Amino acid sequence: MLRNPFFQVAMWTLGIGAALTVIVLNAGWLPAVASDEAGKIDTFYDILAVISCFIFGLVSAIMIVSVIHFRRRHGDMSDGEPIHGNSRLEVLWTSIPTALMVGAAVAGALLLHDIEEPQASTQTVRVQAQQFAWTFEYPQGFRANELHLVEGTPYYFKMNTGDVIHSFWVPEFRMKKDAVPGITTTVRVTPTRKGKYAVVCAELCGLGHSTMRAPVVVEDQQSFDRWAAQARKDQSTVGGQSEPSFK
Amino acid sequence: MESASIAHAAGAHAEHPPEANRSSRVDPQLLGMLLFIVSEAMLFGSFFTAYFFIRVVEGTPWPPDPFEFPVAIAGMNTAILLISSFTMHYALHSVKAGNRLGMKAGLVTTLVLGVAFLTTQINEYVKAGFSISDGAFASVFYGLTGLHGAHVFIGLTLLTIMTVRAFRGHFSAQAHMGVECAGIYWHFVDVMWIVVYTTIYLL
Amino acid sequence: MADSVAVAAETHGSQQPSSPQRGGFKARMLAPGLLRAAWATVAMAAFAYGLVVGLRAIQGFPLFDSAPIVTAILLAAPMGFLVGIGGFDYWFKYMIGKPTEPEDHSGHGARSWRDYFRVNTDHKVIGIQYTVTSIFFLLVGGALAELVRAELAAPGQQIVSTDTFNGLFSVHASLMIFLVIIPVFAGLANYVIPLMIGAPDMAFPRLNALSYWLLPVAGIMMMASFLVPDSGSFSTGWTAYTPLSSNAPLGQQFFTIGVQFAGTSSIMTALNFLVTIITMRAPGMTFWRLPLLVWANFTTSLLVVIATPFVAGSQFLLLLDRALHANFFDVFQGGETLQYQHIFWFYSHPAVYIMVLPGFGIVSEIISAKSRKPIFGYRLMALSLLAILALGFTVWAHHMFVSGMFSWLRVPMMITTMLIAVPTGVKIFSWLATLWRGVLELSTPMLFCLGFITMFTLGGISGIMLAVIPIDIHVSDTYFVVAHLHYVLFGGSMFTIFAGIYYWFPKMTGRMFDERLGKIHFWLTFIGFNATFAPMHWVGLEGMPRRVADYAEQFAGWNLFISIAAFGLGLSTLVFIYNMIVSWKWGPPAPGNPWRAKTLEWQVSSPPPLFNFDEIPQVVGGPYEYGVPGAVHAVLNGEREKVPAGAGEAGGNGHNGSARQ
Ligand code: HEA
Ligand code: HEA
Ligand code: CUA
Ligand SMILES: [Cu+2]
Repeated sequence: MLRNPFFQVAMWTLGIGAALTVIVLNAGWLPAVASDEAGKIDTFYDILAVISCFIFGLVSAIMIVSVIHFRRRHGDMSDGEPIHGNSRLEVLWTSIPTALMVGAAVAGALLLHDIEEPQASTQTVRVQAQQFAWTFEYPQGFRANELHLVEGTPYYFKMNTGDVIHSFWVPEFRMKKDAVPGITTTVRVTPTRKGKYAVVCAELCGLGHSTMRAPVVVEDQQSFDRWAAQARKDQSTVGGQSEPSFK
Repeated sequence: MESASIAHAAGAHAEHPPEANRSSRVDPQLLGMLLFIVSEAMLFGSFFTAYFFIRVVEGTPWPPDPFEFPVAIAGMNTAILLISSFTMHYALHSVKAGNRLGMKAGLVTTLVLGVAFLTTQINEYVKAGFSISDGAFASVFYGLTGLHGAHVFIGLTLLTIMTVRAFRGHFSAQAHMGVECAGIYWHFVDVMWIVVYTTIYLL
Repeated sequence: MADSVAVAAETHGSQQPSSPQRGGFKARMLAPGLLRAAWATVAMAAFAYGLVVGLRAIQGFPLFDSAPIVTAILLAAPMGFLVGIGGFDYWFKYMIGKPTEPEDHSGHGARSWRDYFRVNTDHKVIGIQYTVTSIFFLLVGGALAELVRAELAAPGQQIVSTDTFNGLFSVHASLMIFLVIIPVFAGLANYVIPLMIGAPDMAFPRLNALSYWLLPVAGIMMMASFLVPDSGSFSTGWTAYTPLSSNAPLGQQFFTIGVQFAGTSSIMTALNFLVTIITMRAPGMTFWRLPLLVWANFTTSLLVVIATPFVAGSQFLLLLDRALHANFFDVFQGGETLQYQHIFWFYSHPAVYIMVLPGFGIVSEIISAKSRKPIFGYRLMALSLLAILALGFTVWAHHMFVSGMFSWLRVPMMITTMLIAVPTGVKIFSWLATLWRGVLELSTPMLFCLGFITMFTLGGISGIMLAVIPIDIHVSDTYFVVAHLHYVLFGGSMFTIFAGIYYWFPKMTGRMFDERLGKIHFWLTFIGFNATFAPMHWVGLEGMPRRVADYAEQFAGWNLFISIAAFGLGLSTLVFIYNMIVSWKWGPPAPGNPWRAKTLEWQVSSPPPLFNFDEIPQVVGGPYEYGVPGAVHAVLNGEREKVPAGAGEAGGNGHNGSARQ
């Protein structure tokens, strides 16, 4: 039993798959979950990652066992068994991945639909990207270089750019969309966790690409109102915008 | 690095390569030409993608107001190119039948017609009233007709070569692959023009 | 496509002796070669310069504007080079109506290293030219990557400015893709395919030579971009998205035009392969008896012929915008920006399969020979290539999930993209089944193949992750993508290239390489590769965008680790280079068939005779009939009658045919 190569493949698969699963699920590679969408995406990512671990486990298990069992002994000049194929196996490894992929694609499409669904009482914030800074225009009618959001409110970002393509990305929200010259692109996010994050430009846009960032603050309604009042005042007094601070 | 292939070739091997086996009835030169035309057609495809985006996706008026395309002159040009396809066909037909005079006449007429097409086209450019930088529609117009014009030019070059060779006594009823390939290319240029003309000027 | 026209031999003139190589000063200046190429390049550059200045004088523009001058030179000087080196000599004679010369084979074979620097029509010489050139560019591209890693070793600015940094990774990627992976596969295939199908050469030998000589042009052009004063090299990534690239400084022109040369080269080679494979197979070599490498290059060539014109198109349009101020991509003039990405990816996604399918072919050859077993499910292996070909044209927009393109296109593209896992999986599982119960010889080529199977699976799986839109929304344009692309390109394509070079090294050079150094190279590469690129997955997931010269403090630890590993990986390449050079010069002579393989290229001497075969072989069976009693793949040199059933088998000792040492 233990020396049966098929049994060994099964053991190696489980071993490698399980080991990788433990690493993938516990390593905390994904940033903090700060939006409604992020939670859903992470769950989906975890499921796919675990399946992937076992697929990789299977492939490497077959290879390892082959290398151990069927390695050529010194001086052995013989040939392997002339097996030309096996239709049942071939059907199997065509149909199982097909089913897996169709399943994952359907689940992915549903999730996409879910995270892009419009919600009631959405706030619309206009985002203006420009080499190499972000400007946000709030529904209350003022502009700022910081993105302040109220926890739990669904937001709808409408993006434009004055020059080249940029990409609006807040890793903690898991959402990203390019700002493209000539069109208005949109993205929906519902922030759910108070904290300070950053908008990171994710599309190569020239020399300042790596510095094109803007602070994001997710806070409660009171703090937001206080900040908004101040920001409005700053805008009317200075007439300009505060320097974007670089994280 | 030392020579790789030769050291051993000095041995008892043949002086000449063995005749390659013909594993297909299609002639290699012909097949090469056809594949080349496939990739040329794809090149036009990429320019038509731009046409599609600018005219269909963006909904650019075609042509936008004060401008106009010289549909009639281009139509005449279309006729010229169409006729040249027939004269080309005649040239090939003649050489296949062993009529070298017909071939020469056909080639020369085709050449003249092709040059007429290009001249008209350049004339049209000069009088168009807009330049390549007058908006995206103009870029597409010049891009597609220019790409086509470049192909007419390549076709004309091939035809010139074949004409020179024809007058120097090459080509016969048995051996006329050069004329045949140049002819195929010419027909392709012609067909492509009909597509360009229809999409740019007529639709 | 002048070749197909020109080769047509209507009238054969008298056979002319090959042009004199030595002679007076004038003769040497006029003989095709590097000397003539040098002055012709300069002459054409001067001509272009004069033309532009002259035209500007007529039009009353200011005379000296570097952009149009450089553009004209970039287009004209390579022509001078190609004419000078002798790439067009034959066609010029044809043009002016001289009698067609029958191929006199004076251009065949290489007698000394100098012959590799001439226009040579021998597919074996061209194959070596391609391979060595590509390895040269691998070193250059790799050195650029090491500079990228040096800059990224710590946050903040280290050794280069942001501008230079953007140039470094852009040129790195462009060289790796257009001058390493694509041509090295073309080189190996050039060498092996005519031998494998039993042909004396490629269908269009002169076109073949011309395709090769376009490569150094493209490569040198891309490298030369670093010399552009003020602007430096092109710095918009290998993707060159508009409008960044349409407004970029002069260096961008070197990419836009360089790609045209590389693309033309690869289209012409592909066309040559297709015609060769279709029309020049040995008698009995039906499509179902073709070695899988031939199948793989057949599909790849189809991909190239159909898709590559699109990258040419994308760069033509960009050139029109840049040089003639057209407005294809200028939204303020009614242009459209995203169409560039559609056109570009309609080529560049198929291009990633152009960059891996030939590798699949190499792996099939080696795994079968080194496991001493027939390929498992041969027909499905061939059909899955065709499935990848077809699906490959339907998935381009998976690079544009967050680009703001039509949102309805995303889900269909996600589904087709994920379905590519199926034919690819068929290949992976069939290779594994080929290993199973074989007699595995774990020599260097085989080690690289096994490394390929695991590493490519990892890269493919991260590709599947990227294909799922909600996940791609987060990881697109991050180091996760950089990890994916190096796992498939390095762990995938590069590993198969190393495997292929080791495998055919004895055939190409007539000498054996040092097996121990080969193994050391494998293990160093395998470990260095994983140490370099695996952590990129995590920094990407954590939020580090790609193409940044500077990054947040939180990623510093991993980046330092990655940089150190990358230097190790670079050093491992030196082991390979050393092994290749020393073995080529001093390695023990190789027998005709050191691997006891069955395919045709191994049935002739190493290196093969000048014209491959004295007589076209007769193919009588499949290419991988290891362990099948009495099976024969092909009969060579009049042994047709002599061969009784069962010969050429005996313990798989191959069939040594005309092997002569
Ligand atoms: C050799 C090159 C190569 C290859 C073969 C692939 C193969 C694949 N690639 Fe990759 N890709 C690149 C080179 C390549 N890619 C490059 C260079 C980029 C970046 C471009 C840039 O922006 O600069 C990129 C980017 C890229 C993106 C865009 C990411 C982004 O920018 O947001 C996506 C998204 O879908 C993607 C997906 C895939 C998929 C699904 C495959 C599939 O073909 C993989 C299929 C293989 C397997 C799945 C493994 C084997 C299968 C099995 C063992 C069967 C069982 C498995 C399952 C059922 C899952 N790739
Ligand atoms: C086949 C393709 C290929 C290969 C083999 C490699 C190999 C390597 N790549 Fe590259 N890479 C790409 C294709 C490839 N890459 C692509 C397509 C991109 C995307 C670019 C873009 O965003 O547009 C990219 C981007 C890319 C980045 C991201 C840049 C960014 O987004 O900011 C990084 C960063 O680490 C990187 C690193 C490396 C390293 C360390 C290697 C190592 O494997 C290199 C190992 C080194 C050698 C093989 C050479 C050894 C040479 C010497 C030791 C010196 C001797 C030589 C001389 C004296 C001339 N690559
Ligand atoms: Cu803006 Cu990158
Ligand atoms: Cu892709």
